[in-house]
Amino acid sequence: MLPLIRSMSSHPLSRRGFLSVGALSGLGLGLADFLAIRESAAAENLYETPPQVAKSVIHIFLPGGLSAQESFDPKPYAPIEYRGELRAIPTKITGESFSELLPKTAQLADKLTVVRSLTHGEAAHERGQHNMMTYYRPSPALQFPSMGSVVSHEQGPRNNLPGYICVPNAPNPYASSGYLSSAYAPFALGDAPERAGFKVRDLNHPGGIDHSRAMRRRQALEIVNRQFTSQTTSDDVHAMSSFYERAFDLIDSPAAREAFNLEAEEGKVRDRYGRNQAGQRMLMARRLVEAGARFVTLSYGGWDHHQQVTTNMRRNMPAFDQGYAALIADLEERGLLGETLVLVSSEFGRTPKINADGGRDHWSKVFSVVLAGGGTKRGAVVGSSGPTASDPEETPISPEDLATTIYHQLGIPANKELMSPGGRPVEIVNGGKIRPELLG
Amino acid sequence: MNRAWQHLAFIALSFAISWGFSLAWAADGAEAEKENASKDPSSPAETPKFVDLTIYPSEIHLNHAAAKQQAIAVARRTDGISVDVTSLVEWKCKADNAAEPLAKWADGRVQPLRDGNTTLVARLDQPSLDQTNSDSLSASVPVYVQGATINKEVSFRHDVMPIFLRAGCNAGGCHGSSRGKDGFQLSLFGYDPAGDYFRLTRERATRRLNRALPDDSLLLEKCIGAVPHTGGKRFEKESEYYSTLHNWVSAGAPSDLADAPTVESLQLYPPEATMELDDAQQFVALATYSDGNVRDVTDLALFLSSDSTVASIDPQGRCVAGVRGEAFVMARFDTHTVGSPVLTLPTESIYQPTETPPANYIDELVDAKLNTLRIPPSERSSDAEFLRRVTIDLAGRLPEVAELEAFLANEAPDKRALAIDRLIDTPEFRKLWTLHWANLLMVRSENNRVDYKAMQLYFEWIAEQIQQNRPLDEFVHELLTASGPTFVAPAGNFYQVEPLAAKTAENVAQAFLGIRVQCAQCHNHPFDRWTMEDYYGFAAFFSQVGRKPGEDYREMIVFDRGFGETNHPVDGKPRPPQTLGGEPTELAKENRVDRRKVAADWITSPENPYFATNLGNRFWAHFFGVGIVEPVDDVRVSNPPSNQALYDALGSKLIEYDFDFTRLVRDICNSNAYQRASSTTEANQHDRRNFAYARTRRIPAEVLLDCVSQATGAEEKLPGLPLGARATQVADGKANHYFLKTFGRSKRDTVCACEARAEPTLSQALHLMNGATVHGKINQGKLIESMLEEGAQPQEVARRLYLRCLSREPSDAELAALDKLIAEDPKPRDELQDVFWALLNSREFLFNH
Repeated sequence: MLPLIRSMSSHPLSRRGFLSVGALSGLGLGLADFLAIRESAAAENLYETPPQVAKSVIHIFLPGGLSAQESFDPKPYAPIEYRGELRAIPTKITGESFSELLPKTAQLADKLTVVRSLTHGEAAHERGQHNMMTYYRPSPALQFPSMGSVVSHEQGPRNNLPGYICVPNAPNPYASSGYLSSAYAPFALGDAPERAGFKVRDLNHPGGIDHSRAMRRRQALEIVNRQFTSQTTSDDVHAMSSFYERAFDLIDSPAAREAFNLEAEEGKVRDRYGRNQAGQRMLMARRLVEAGARFVTLSYGGWDHHQQVTTNMRRNMPAFDQGYAALIADLEERGLLGETLVLVSSEFGRTPKINADGGRDHWSKVFSVVLAGGGTKRGAVVGSSGPTASDPEETPISPEDLATTIYHQLGIPANKELMSPGGRPVEIVNGGKIRPELLG
Repeated sequence: MNRAWQHLAFIALSFAISWGFSLAWAADGAEAEKENASKDPSSPAETPKFVDLTIYPSEIHLNHAAAKQQAIAVARRTDGISVDVTSLVEWKCKADNAAEPLAKWADGRVQPLRDGNTTLVARLDQPSLDQTNSDSLSASVPVYVQGATINKEVSFRHDVMPIFLRAGCNAGGCHGSSRGKDGFQLSLFGYDPAGDYFRLTRERATRRLNRALPDDSLLLEKCIGAVPHTGGKRFEKESEYYSTLHNWVSAGAPSDLADAPTVESLQLYPPEATMELDDAQQFVALATYSDGNVRDVTDLALFLSSDSTVASIDPQGRCVAGVRGEAFVMARFDTHTVGSPVLTLPTESIYQPTETPPANYIDELVDAKLNTLRIPPSERSSDAEFLRRVTIDLAGRLPEVAELEAFLANEAPDKRALAIDRLIDTPEFRKLWTLHWANLLMVRSENNRVDYKAMQLYFEWIAEQIQQNRPLDEFVHELLTASGPTFVAPAGNFYQVEPLAAKTAENVAQAFLGIRVQCAQCHNHPFDRWTMEDYYGFAAFFSQVGRKPGEDYREMIVFDRGFGETNHPVDGKPRPPQTLGGEPTELAKENRVDRRKVAADWITSPENPYFATNLGNRFWAHFFGVGIVEPVDDVRVSNPPSNQALYDALGSKLIEYDFDFTRLVRDICNSNAYQRASSTTEANQHDRRNFAYARTRRIPAEVLLDCVSQATGAEEKLPGLPLGARATQVADGKANHYFLKTFGRSKRDTVCACEARAEPTLSQALHLMNGATVHGKINQGKLIESMLEEGAQPQEVARRLYLRCLSREPSDAELAALDKLIAEDPKPRDELQDVFWALLNSREFLFNH
């Protein structure tokens, strides 16, 4: 396993600022004693590690602010200015409907948990994205890590695949490692899977370099690095070292490298997901998760429909519907849905009323997210946004609750404290609750 | 001096012992033990004597019957530590000649009794060190009581509104949200008092306030949690806040919006504090109003700390010291934020100040700060380390082997200064700074807006300014006032890259003043002084910029339209132009001038408090990897410089040098601070911002690519440039290049300094290992082949490669270890290529250290 790199500024001593170890030795206390003392003093943060149900997460992020009314939370009985132009269609959950643009997803609604009452107070894109990637409200003093980075920090890589992967790139700046070392930042594919000739670069030895030369290069690198890396305390140098180790692991593992090879999927599987942005990114995510990636974030489309929400949704939604339905069905067929939690989210929702441009504006008071697999409930609608999608009418769910529940499924205690620069401990999630409504 | 240090050492030792024990107890989990072990200021054996006593505030004004002023007493010890002795001193309001006192001291506060002038006295008794007699310190401040019988009306503007800020009611997550919360909206952080008054008193009729039965007002019931409130209970029914709101509603909820005085300034006391671990210090905040009144707003201000691990502060203004360092403790009231620096010193270390004489004014200021914080600096870098560092920083390349060898052989005492002068004179130095400005000024082509040719001319114009060493104030002035066709006056592209007036104003503020005013577009800045008036006033300078197509379809003409305003969204009225922090300026109708000229004059003036310091700090950050204010473009009260004197000095030097930045760069590079070793010591490894050692920095994308090309002797084909050009010369921010993108080249989408990134990533490691850059260039440059051809022995080849890449000789251990990898083959090309690969992949190569 890779060494976990701590931010260099995380003080090796407690933040209470005990005196230096040197002064202790005068009292006959050695470093080991000191650390033992510190261990017992650190008990102020008590947490219990829950059993792990979900082994991986696929996070489908829809940037811009998905309209719930035009997707998972239609309001067929509301006046036209609230309802919009799209019809509602029945789903596999009796009495619940989705937008007409989600026919395939509606057919497997019995595998999903639709949360219609997510709520937070941040209606600006950056702040909303911050809330929905880090599950913290933005702070001027501290950069928070994204959920993917926390998972990578807590659980490390598996099967030599990076712990946290973004397809194709980090969807926003908050998808990164925040106050944690940049060693926990996402690995970005750098190329879009839907593109013809898609390839994740630099995974193979360059031409002409066989195994023995590759090994010699590594030995030589080890010799050259030794002096410098042993002397420096720079966090960035150590982060770079850990990336090299990870890169070696990845290169040495044909299975891990093969996970990035989308060409290996049969043509009909690629067709099933849809040969478009949504489909191929979701297929890529499935391949990665199947091979052992812990946390894959993918983004699709742009959903900031201040104008012509109907037209725009007609353009964007069908590819999502096809890809998402294929993903859920495919995971189920492969027996992976039980251990893979699929989260569909956006930074916020959109205003109850259609505006003068036929669009909807930002609305963070209530919006929908959808969970599937990883021990979440199968076939449930949680919460309600009332008759006009204006307020959470019942069972409001905060981003903190959502995150705490997901972390719980992953076997990560959300109240555990991580160390931020200056030795300030920060809980993974600030005061969220595990919501049994979401769990099977 | 010596005796003082011995004395300190004794104290430090005695503390160490008592702390050692307290730590052992803490193992039992008993937090309370630590409290007991902390210093008791009255215990003479451990505590140095107090040498002076000060009361804050320095004068007290009480102007109505219910007025109160909290006062604190701070005593300074012989070792420079300041101690809050408010609870240890004896307080007294002098009776003077009057029969009865004019004011009384109760509950830590002075309260008025009768009109007149009196004095508040504090006396601190301390046993002297020889225990025979006690000596005492005393201090006094004048107290002015005027209007002791006046019952002041509750002010909506100054009593009620601040409660909404203090209790968090108008925060963004609550009623300050743009759509309010649970049906009730307040303006975010109170930017719109009139709107708030309207919503409280008129919206939904009498629902929120019940003038007949004030207790039943929803406002009052919600605050104390008497009825369900999503935000919970904000304060107690017995609190001052409740009674203020109650009194206001009882009085009929009067509005004083029309004639309320404004808050002119805010003061925070004590103005500075030097504390030891777990010491506490109460802070007091005072507001001065435009009508001359001064008022204690400690109960109404919001307190925050720039670093709560160093000094935390609670809502009542009580600050507690934590780990060693410096923090800024701030109070926010109305739109004002002020701060006091708090220094937390370790109790245990015995510190010897550095004896290296300062190289220039920079060292005097850096060393002074390190001495205050008791952080010992690292030693001086070796010559080889220095030359590599300074060559990368100044010329964006590695030292040539011959250059290095000549430098090492040179015995002149001023050889470092000469090397700096030589590097500053190179064209590479100019290219590097052209790149910096191109990043900052967003030189990039944009579909349908900035044509490639216009962009190219813009880049060349910047390069020319830097080439000619144009004073930076003139450079920025010309840029801001540029008019005419963009092919002829390429600086006009600054207004082409960003067409919106408000956004242009934001860019100008951030790029040239380091101020982010973005927040104030929609509400008053939550952490700084900027209000919406400032924002729209500043934007008004750029609201009259006209743009029209030129003769060539790729060209735009930028001109002064002479009309166009920015409207303040709250009242919908145009704001007159207003410099940041200045007063609105009415520009004359006749003989009108381009508004941009007025703005440019103000920005580039030596009197401008932000311009020169911000520039100086940007240069500093280039050489130290971190600014004195960090981020360099986020200057605000709540983000203070880590060394104020140094920050100011760089700005005033730049002005003194007539904005010739090369002279400032020369000073920085010649300082000991820059020339320190990058290795840290036990005692300074935790320093982040005080420049005790040279920070190890990943080499920026463009420079790193140039270094790989240089080391391998293989030229790079870059977009839009002939073979052999340097990556620093790529003009277009939009140009696509995998290496540059992966290593964090600035995309130039915004003026933010954060656009260029240097964090390592997995993709970077993979690319260096397997990508075409390193492997391809080793093959392409054929260096090893030619060295072997010349008859060089493998060991000699390895040695030369070390010098090329790392600017140092390999150690014997390294050579021996590498030797084992190299086979018996007299021309071990593959093996040496692998060594070359390892050198270019080494951390030592990728980082500037």
